[in-house]
Amino acid sequence: MRVIEISRRKFLQGSVALSIYSSLSFSECLVTTKTSKNKNVKKVPYLCNVCRNKCAGFARVEEGVITKLNPNPNFPKSKNMLCPKGNAGIQKVYDRDRLKYPLIRIGKRGEGKYKRVTWDEAYEYIKDKLVKILDEEKDNRSTIVYCNGEGFNKDEYIKFFNGKLGSANFLDEGSICLNTKLGATILTIGDVGEMDVAGSDYMIISGANRYESIVTPDSLNMIHSNQKLVVLDPRCTVTAIKADEYLPVHPGTDLAFCLSMIYIALKNELYDKEYVKKYFKDFDKLKDHILSHKYTSKWAEKKTHIPSEKIERITREFFNAKNPLYYLGRRSVWSKNDFQFRRAMVLINALAGSINKKGGIIFGKHIKLNPEEINEPFYNNSQGRFDLDGIVYGSNKGGSWPNFREKVLGKTSPYPVKAMFIRKHNLMQNMPDIKKTQKLLEMMDLIVVMDILPCDTVLMADVILPECTYLEREDMVVSFNKLEPSLGLRNQVIKPLYESKSIQDILKGLGKKLSKPLFEISAKYDIYLQKNIKKNGKNRAFKEGGYDLAELYKNSVPQRNKRLIISQFGKNVYDSLKNRGIWYPYIDERKEISNHYYEYYPEDKRYYTVKRNYKVNCYLEKLAKNGFDPIPTWRDEYDFKVPKNKFRLITGRYVTATQTATANNIMLKDFEEINKIWINNIVAEKLGIKENDDILVVSSVDKVIIKAYPTNKIAPDIVWFAHGFGICSQDLVNACGHGASDNMIIEDKYEKIYGCSTMHETNVSIRKL
Amino acid sequence: MANYGMAFDYELCIDCHACEVACKEENGISLGMEHRRLWIQKDGDIEGDFWNIDKSSVSFIQMQCQNCVNPPCLEACERKAIYIDENAIVRIYKDKCDLLLSCMKACPYDARYIDDTHFFTDKCIFCADTRLARGETTTACQITCPAKLRYFGDLNDEKSEIVQMLKKRNFFVLKESEGTIPKLFYFIPKNKEFAQKTIEKGTKIYTWGEMKPKIKPLNLKKI
Repeated sequence: MRVIEISRRKFLQGSVALSIYSSLSFSECLVTTKTSKNKNVKKVPYLCNVCRNKCAGFARVEEGVITKLNPNPNFPKSKNMLCPKGNAGIQKVYDRDRLKYPLIRIGKRGEGKYKRVTWDEAYEYIKDKLVKILDEEKDNRSTIVYCNGEGFNKDEYIKFFNGKLGSANFLDEGSICLNTKLGATILTIGDVGEMDVAGSDYMIISGANRYESIVTPDSLNMIHSNQKLVVLDPRCTVTAIKADEYLPVHPGTDLAFCLSMIYIALKNELYDKEYVKKYFKDFDKLKDHILSHKYTSKWAEKKTHIPSEKIERITREFFNAKNPLYYLGRRSVWSKNDFQFRRAMVLINALAGSINKKGGIIFGKHIKLNPEEINEPFYNNSQGRFDLDGIVYGSNKGGSWPNFREKVLGKTSPYPVKAMFIRKHNLMQNMPDIKKTQKLLEMMDLIVVMDILPCDTVLMADVILPECTYLEREDMVVSFNKLEPSLGLRNQVIKPLYESKSIQDILKGLGKKLSKPLFEISAKYDIYLQKNIKKNGKNRAFKEGGYDLAELYKNSVPQRNKRLIISQFGKNVYDSLKNRGIWYPYIDERKEISNHYYEYYPEDKRYYTVKRNYKVNCYLEKLAKNGFDPIPTWRDEYDFKVPKNKFRLITGRYVTATQTATANNIMLKDFEEINKIWINNIVAEKLGIKENDDILVVSSVDKVIIKAYPTNKIAPDIVWFAHGFGICSQDLVNACGHGASDNMIIEDKYEKIYGCSTMHETNVSIRKL
Repeated sequence: MANYGMAFDYELCIDCHACEVACKEENGISLGMEHRRLWIQKDGDIEGDFWNIDKSSVSFIQMQCQNCVNPPCLEACERKAIYIDENAIVRIYKDKCDLLLSCMKACPYDARYIDDTHFFTDKCIFCADTRLARGETTTACQITCPAKLRYFGDLNDEKSEIVQMLKKRNFFVLKESEGTIPKLFYFIPKNKEFAQKTIEKGTKIYTWGEMKPKIKPLNLKKI
């Protein structure tokens, strides 16, 4: 081990003053608050929201200010840790650029000119626009599109806009995230399952970068277990560095590796025969198909660039292991074969018998929460969604963004879409081909954005409603995980800053303002409602029909939680959630394994195996009917090919970034201030490119300029840079102008089984400026 | 009255920066990479061309003040601003510090930086004036670490987890030849190949029995 001396010595060369009056402004230097010596301060249990994991923590509050976030040892999911982003969550609350009060646009869309208004003025504005739009559309509620990225309150939001307001058009992040994985698992084994990483003694990961994109408990289980880890990735990530074996691979060819594993297992009868006999449906079809296609390791070597002897050996090691797991990933969709690739991984696990078993894909047991009943109106004129037309399966919940956008832009949707409610969803950065998204937004008559920071999408809004951060509100209780299930409660740490509100309070105000005027529109066009009014009178029709849109929010979230939790689980559980943030049946028996790392459920109480009737579906009839492969198959079009002088652009992220949501976090900016484009070192040398040179990257849709990072960690025909940079919004002072945005240049392509954007199908050229 | 030290199972580090952020938030450290009490040092190179890449000598090393038994910074300070506190932690009297920077030059570990809002040379003090001052027994970096690779505790307490671990596993220290006698210990990785690749040849491997007599605090001064 060498201790390289780099950092501070250079400051010693110059004068002290040079360092004291460095480039940082005084206020920027002081964003961290030292915790005091005081023992007796408020420590509030909360659940993190900087990424999708929802790790548990305790917030230290001193004189009304959050001074520190600490990990919560009670949570089986996050196991007493907070990652860098979780620690930096404080900076989101105290971000100077936060949206502080409601705003209404006065300039052109995208120009960024707004005037400050009261909440009532904002609601009034929205009401006037919606009344006009719904009048024009004769009460077709689906003309209002509403979308929401990942998060606890998504269901609250759906209850309002679908359940109460009656729109069928909800879109979420699934089609630019992992719907193919969820779908492939459900269709193959009947459940999304959960991967028992801790119980696995041999794990293969294709591309999922679990150490730079931390998922709890998976990443933690990987660190703390002694399993053999094999990583396939077209880029040598930290996960690859930490793996026992790293296999460099061509992008989009993991399916070939999987098919070959299946071939070798079937040919040599390495699979779990007893399991296959008991659970497989159409096993013979699978066997005939795979063997007849001759997916040998030699064949796979040509497709993947992984040596055939390694494929053979790893397949044998995998099937000989006691608890092998092919990790299904949690990641955006890469290539057009993505659904088949995810499905092949599920089939490999099934062939090894690693389903509903320790170390495999487990079904487990969820702690069920009783739903709150709401009275949903019936809107006769509200039409159905159209974004799944032409998609084989697709998610009925979150739909397909790329197909939706294409249909609206091409005016092939069955009715016009005129209004958009956007929450926690940075459309202007989150999907390929940003110019198309901009055009889509420009077509709207009304855009309302609910958010915390003025991201690029906020600047397209007509009305901006400031939402509070996760540390300023209580959210509805959530049930987590299925192997070691628990309940978690996000308690309110401090009151909302400025004029920001929780989503429930925003919807309550909006609901109150909209209920009567929108009811009148329905009364004008909806024949069923007209009959009802005739029969029962307007007041009764309104009340009994559920047209009071604010009904769900009559009681505050803390009141609803208290009632729900106590009635279903009792006061002890409620107290545990309020005081410890977490409850599970063995919470008082938590055992320390070592150094503040714990065992949560006793081994014999974990839900490794549950009673379940299910089949492993080898053959999907519906796919065959729609002209797709009913059994995973390699097609020539999947071959990895890049034209001469071009590079395949792949994307990913840094450990300190959650997409664009952390782009303005001043603490995290310390680690990755900009993104850089990874270019193979030998290629870079030929092109005369050195680190930090400005590089122009051009695709068929647009171009970006980004600094170079030549490295041997990437293949010669690939370039990579991280998502989450290249923010345009000048109101995000720390983020704007730093690095480049991948979605500026990624082409709008999507697969047709789940309607998901394929992120790794774009070729680019690069030029040193 | 304790004799605090830290031990690292560096084999487990994934270079996630959680420790660095937690330290800054807990101790009110200024932004900027030049201001930091601790950092993770990437050691070793990724060798070969991409398709034949060899990443086996890469490791992530926890770097911070080594809380030496013989701290060169203390010896070097003309103002006598540096002292060892009752818990055997190397500390500084902020108001005595004139920023002559002799301590920074003397430190073989590059552990100190200039706190340019309070004008003294700061470094890791095991959260002595925040967490330890409140009676807590963990540091911010230790408790937040996803790998739980940082063991912290009283080296005089045979029952403490750190001593138990040091008894169980062999370890080495950084820059032993400097004679500083650091109280930060790096466990020999369980993976033998990783150990071989990441530990420099000739590095002395210690057992607790060998180390224990060396780490008695020498310059203890009352605050």
